[in-house]
Amino acid sequence: MRSNFTLKIEVPAKIFMLRPLGFFVRSLIEQLSDNCDASDVIDRVELAFSEAFTNICRHAYSATREGPAIIEIISSNDQLTFVFTDFGKGFDPEKVMPPNLDEPREGGLGLWLMKQVMDDYSYRTESDGRNVLTLRKKMTKSMPSPMEVA
Amino acid sequence: MQVQAANGVTVISMDERFDATIAQKLKDTVKSLAEREQTRLVIDLSQTRFIDSSGCGALVASLRVLMKNKGDMKIAGPSAQARSLFQLTRLNRVFEIYDTLPEALKSFS
Repeated sequence: MRSNFTLKIEVPAKIFMLRPLGFFVRSLIEQLSDNCDASDVIDRVELAFSEAFTNICRHAYSATREGPAIIEIISSNDQLTFVFTDFGKGFDPEKVMPPNLDEPREGGLGLWLMKQVMDDYSYRTESDGRNVLTLRKKMTKSMPSPMEVA
Repeated sequence: MQVQAANGVTVISMDERFDATIAQKLKDTVKSLAEREQTRLVIDLSQTRFIDSSGCGALVASLRVLMKNKGDMKIAGPSAQARSLFQLTRLNRVFEIYDTLPEALKSFS
């Protein structure tokens, strides 16, 4: 990675923000990833970002409950970390069943996909009500994906 | 998102990003097409660099609506990122996928 830094932005957790944020994050990762010659790593990070932000908009908040999403992007020692904080409804990721991929559905893939494409996933609800999702990815040439191994 | 119809087949061309910002619009459009009995559809992804699970969900919903109305849906020109996501989610077993739009259109003839 080109440099170590932390970037912090606060945005309304609204779906209309997803597109500009997605373009921004993609562009940022591409700029940082001069040691990463595999575009599929960038694709995966972009996917995880999109899934995480969409989940906050759709599940933490809702049509009747609005609030912010605080997004920290941390670049450090070839590792990229996203920390998403929201103040909406939390959940227990252990209670979310993995999707049955033999029965395609309209939704329910986001959390599973984040775990598939990132190196590390953690989610916790703090005592003050903040929900904190952390995603990490080593920004080096990717290992074969699960489907490539399968 | 652009919608065009020719020779009994409707082509919906998706934009560079296919995510939650556009997923509902696709579902509404396909539902409207099905109500008008325009149920032979190609989703053209040749301009789509990025798709996420919301995009995939909209495709699943669209296929269901069309099948329910005795129609069909083909996917044309997915990027490497889209193909990778279809494989990971096994939607490559559900969708009929063609490399190019002309190939997808030809499959209806």
